[in-house]
Amino acid sequence: MQFDLNEDQALLRTSTREFLENEAPLTETRGLMEESAEGYPKDLYAQLGELGYAGLLLSEEDGGLGAIAFAVVMAEMGRVAFPGPFLDLALAVRTLADCDEGPAREWQDRASAGSALVIMARGEDMGSTDPAAPSVVFEDNRVQGSKVFVPFGAQADAIVVSTVQGLALVPRPGTGWNATALTTLDHAQRFVRLDFDDEAILLANPSTSAGLLADSHRLGALGASAQMFGLMERSLELAVAYTSEREAFGVPIGSFQALQHRCADMLIQTESTRSATFRAAWAEETGTEDSSYLTSVAKAWAGPAGRFVCGQAIQLFGGVGFTWEYDPHIYLKRLKTLEQFHGSTTWHVENALAHAPVMKD
Amino acid sequence: MDLCFSDEQLQFQQEVRSWIDVNLERPYTEEVRDPAHNPDSLVEVRRRWQKKLNDAGYLGMRWATEWGGRGATEVEEAILHAELNRADAPVIPNFLGVSLLGPALIHHGSEEQRRRFIPKMLSADEIWCQGFSEPSSGSDLASLRTRAEPDGDDFRITGQKVWTTFGPWADWIFVLARTDLEDRYGGISFFLVPIDQEGVEMRPLKQITGESEFGEVFFDGALAKREHLVGQKGEGWRIAMTVLGYERGASTLASPAEYASQLRGLVSALGERGSLEQPVVREKLGRLVVENEVMRANGLRTLANIAAGIAPGPESSIEKIFWSEYHQRMTDTAVELLGPQGQLQARSPESRPEVDWAYQYLWSRAGTIYSGSSEIQRNIIAKRVLRMPTAR
Repeated sequence: MQFDLNEDQALLRTSTREFLENEAPLTETRGLMEESAEGYPKDLYAQLGELGYAGLLLSEEDGGLGAIAFAVVMAEMGRVAFPGPFLDLALAVRTLADCDEGPAREWQDRASAGSALVIMARGEDMGSTDPAAPSVVFEDNRVQGSKVFVPFGAQADAIVVSTVQGLALVPRPGTGWNATALTTLDHAQRFVRLDFDDEAILLANPSTSAGLLADSHRLGALGASAQMFGLMERSLELAVAYTSEREAFGVPIGSFQALQHRCADMLIQTESTRSATFRAAWAEETGTEDSSYLTSVAKAWAGPAGRFVCGQAIQLFGGVGFTWEYDPHIYLKRLKTLEQFHGSTTWHVENALAHAPVMKD
Repeated sequence: MDLCFSDEQLQFQQEVRSWIDVNLERPYTEEVRDPAHNPDSLVEVRRRWQKKLNDAGYLGMRWATEWGGRGATEVEEAILHAELNRADAPVIPNFLGVSLLGPALIHHGSEEQRRRFIPKMLSADEIWCQGFSEPSSGSDLASLRTRAEPDGDDFRITGQKVWTTFGPWADWIFVLARTDLEDRYGGISFFLVPIDQEGVEMRPLKQITGESEFGEVFFDGALAKREHLVGQKGEGWRIAMTVLGYERGASTLASPAEYASQLRGLVSALGERGSLEQPVVREKLGRLVVENEVMRANGLRTLANIAAGIAPGPESSIEKIFWSEYHQRMTDTAVELLGPQGQLQARSPESRPEVDWAYQYLWSRAGTIYSGSSEIQRNIIAKRVLRMPTAR
């Protein structure tokens, strides 16, 4: 038994942390998140693509590093609240790789090299991101219908769309996307509704597509849990640092037991998220245990736990925690975004229960 | 990462399961429900169970064979405890003796003490209780005031101990007592004291569960012989603190295993009454399942770290808080979901057969208090893990 990362994974964590702290500190990325139209650092995405990060979920022979490495990277991205649809890109790359050869391969190569942004569009229901049968159709080499909450859809070079006939790929039309911005509580997001009536390529039949969507949903939940862990870990660090420095009544406020116990609770929630998430990643990578169950356990735990940790970080900062200027709100907002996608907490609680060993005896 | 048991460990797990199948007559919950039993006869059930475990070599597993152990690893010990809890086996009457006094004697005791006390402790022919806490010294244990004064070569003990689990059935008590009134930590010594003597009075203390499993002990010049001082005079605090750390790994998987069994009982009760498909019920049950599995993930992580030679640090405080608070949430929810039936005592007509919910509900209040309260554990996390500033 061993919980620790192996040497390669530990090295990946160190180098990713270094890269992100140097290239994407919040001091640099906040402007991009808050003001720019594109909302994400295109050049950094290209660099990450060249470094192989976009292809993390590919098979080993195609340059992938496995689910544990994927979780490591996602956690690091969480720590800096890395902007943009990196998780969605990695999922699209994996899905394309699992489709038949041909156009899928071509787009997968471009996406994993960082030269094209490909995003999955699955949801059609404003009230749910849970996987359900699509109503968008693929007919006469065209995709018709609407998808909602497509992350950074307007910036995408191609969209992988779930349709009644299976997964289809829509390259960005010459006239651009028919996109309507959906602005959420997280100012770093660029969600859109996409109304399709565009030329497209069918990638897989309905039954293959259903399997690929389920994989993508599960891996998305794993990536989201790992990012949420990173967000929580960093929020707690910020809160502990702030309360250790900030003085009131002549002492650092972090010496007050009420605040210490709050931070202790935040640590319990955070470390438990780490345990559950990396156990799920290990199950995904090795196939030794039910990864659907363990991923749902991780995601169902991470959402509420993260809300608590990131919410309490704001509380511990006091008044400045409520200002735009200070960072804690960025973490809570990202956390909340991730909780709502890749299967809501409610969906994962139900999925965990349905797969639970205690229900089977 | 590798969170799997090795083939040898899996084989050991299988061996333990088969052994329990053969040797455990019935789950302890059924013993408790049996109207033929009284508190004393239940202790005898537990004593017999301990003898069986001892004969099979399942006690003091990590100790050297010389002392009745088998030189097993923490992982094997954790597997054993998880399997015992899964099967709802009785808790052995000498659990404090085996988990605390045994290691204290092996690491700090004399050869004579080991030979005299360990075999009978393992066989449950002598039952031990622990004399650490006092009415005014709980979380702040080092403030204890029970004193041991020299009397020739020996010592005379005077003072009061409380929360003495299994005291009413105990033959011996291991006691922390002051040999120096000035030196807070270095003035504490570790004694082994027979209970059946003038100068020791054991009074059962009724708990919120209605049982009197613990007691309070009054010492009035009780005799502690020189040869029953463990370690040197003044080493008691150090010995107590080190032995408290020895057992960390053993229970990491035991709590999630025990609670999973209880959840199974809840599931079958809800299934029988047809409420298992109600969304409100599924939501609550689902969250309990998720939290228990997260606890298991924490436990596997701790165990894997121990197995890899990474000593468990203050992270064990996380586990203590998690299982004790989880058990309260779980019993709260289970009893609520079971409706009026959830409050029935084990021996009441119409009570659920799988789990003694009324008892578990009340018993769960103890976990957040004993062995370092949740508040003390949070202090430990804040200071030793998060390194938050100390108050002036």
